[in-house]
Amino acid sequence: MTPQDDIVLRASGARVVYNEDTAHPVEAVRSISLDLRRSEVLALVGPSGCGKTTLFNAIAGLLPLQGGRVEVGGQQVDKATGHVGYMLQKDLLLPWRTVIDNVTLGLEIRGMRGAQARAIASDLIRRYGLSGFENSKPAALSGGMRQRVALMRTLAFNPDVILLDEPFSALDFQTRILLQADVTRIIKEQNKSVILITHDIGEAISMADRIVVLTNRPATVKSVHTVSFRNASTDAVNIRTHPEYQAMFAKIWSELEIIDEAKGSENKVA
Amino acid sequence: MVDATTTAPNKAETRTKQTSFRVRVLVYQIGLLVGILGFWEAGIRLGYLEAYIYGVPSGVASAFASQLLDGSLLRHFWVTGQEVVIGFLIGSLLGTISGLLLWLSPLWARVLHPYMIALNGVPKIALAPLIIVWFGLGMESKIAIAAIITFIVAFLQAHKGTQQIDSDLIRLLQSLGAKPLQIFRIVVVPGSLPWIVSALRLNVGFALIGAVVGEYISAEEGLGHKVYYSGQLYDLNSVWVGIFSLMIMALMLEVVVSWIEKKLQW
Repeated sequence: MTPQDDIVLRASGARVVYNEDTAHPVEAVRSISLDLRRSEVLALVGPSGCGKTTLFNAIAGLLPLQGGRVEVGGQQVDKATGHVGYMLQKDLLLPWRTVIDNVTLGLEIRGMRGAQARAIASDLIRRYGLSGFENSKPAALSGGMRQRVALMRTLAFNPDVILLDEPFSALDFQTRILLQADVTRIIKEQNKSVILITHDIGEAISMADRIVVLTNRPATVKSVHTVSFRNASTDAVNIRTHPEYQAMFAKIWSELEIIDEAKGSENKVA
Repeated sequence: MVDATTTAPNKAETRTKQTSFRVRVLVYQIGLLVGILGFWEAGIRLGYLEAYIYGVPSGVASAFASQLLDGSLLRHFWVTGQEVVIGFLIGSLLGTISGLLLWLSPLWARVLHPYMIALNGVPKIALAPLIIVWFGLGMESKIAIAAIITFIVAFLQAHKGTQQIDSDLIRLLQSLGAKPLQIFRIVVVPGSLPWIVSALRLNVGFALIGAVVGEYISAEEGLGHKVYYSGQLYDLNSVWVGIFSLMIMALMLEVVVSWIEKKLQW
């Protein structure tokens, strides 16, 4: 059902090893193969420290691969060029810049400045509910609003693929649920393809079309689940009451190789 | 309505309280000064203190007036002021720029690291006699002392500022495809401003110390020279005139730096 040209990102056997040339190499990612389809939200779920963020850095071109390859839009990734949008748990807004000047950051780096960049930014700001805050400094905003600005900064330079690295985990529960719903709506509207890293299974089920469960470090793909019971009337809140939600939650939970840190484990990387 | 009637007087009350607090602080400040000078003057007049060891406030005041009128005080003030300001500007500017630029070369940052620790630890004024030898007896050597000391402080602070920048922020800019110079301009320079500003504040003091100590060692003019020379002659009233003039200069520079701080701080 998925033609080749509908795949916006493909990782084949991607492998990342830290300190490869030393006496103590650390294999963070053993072999990951996955496809991201156009307009799809793909969630990566795995135990803490399993190498999810490492994989993201490799996809963004911030880390070299020691094996396999990553293609974005048919182009092999070999360095960071801004081919993907990247959003982290920290909003990373520049505190000395106003909201609008934070949103234009990616455009400015690509050499677009002045009125053109500001027009794109103020359009996004208006559309996604931060009108009136254009000239505020980030310190004046709440955590949820700041993450929203970070999302606009990511959308402003219009990447096809957006990587979300636990973007909601620093927010309080209510803000998190509301922002999950908002972000899902916005990325669908903007026709973006998204990979979402999360350790929150509920967040994965409520936002993603497919969920990839990863093993402990060194990471490999353990299983893939398709969230088929979502439709136009479900949102981040009411999906949690769906009968299939509980079943999927329990299934994924049982697959996660969660290490009880209090007890320790021989699974840890030596 | 109930709120309005109860909060309005409260606000006015708070404001009056704040004003009366400020007035009290001012009254105490003046009172303290008058009290100290009064005890000092009385101690001399009643014979408990020796005027030739401590000076005497009335004598300081008349020395201040006569040296102001004959132009000698302004001359000394002008010389030291130039040394301090020029030294401060050269040192702070070059130090800040070099400290920031070091961010672009992790290799050199690493190479210079032990030297920076050594420079940071040494009492920088200990360099003064060397600099006098190198730059001679004129104003240039005092400017050089002030400049070299403030350079070190500004350099270390600016470099420290660049080291404190969140590495995730740099990663974000890299993921956007930013080149090192863009990261430098967009994040590193503005992100280091708080450290740069604190260096400026420290450097007002260091530039003053540099110029004055330089004048102690060897000079023909300047407030430091005046203080030192008058001390040698046991002219304690003139020593105090010099010290009070240095205080006035420090306050003036403080005002300027506070203004710059407001402009630069985000």
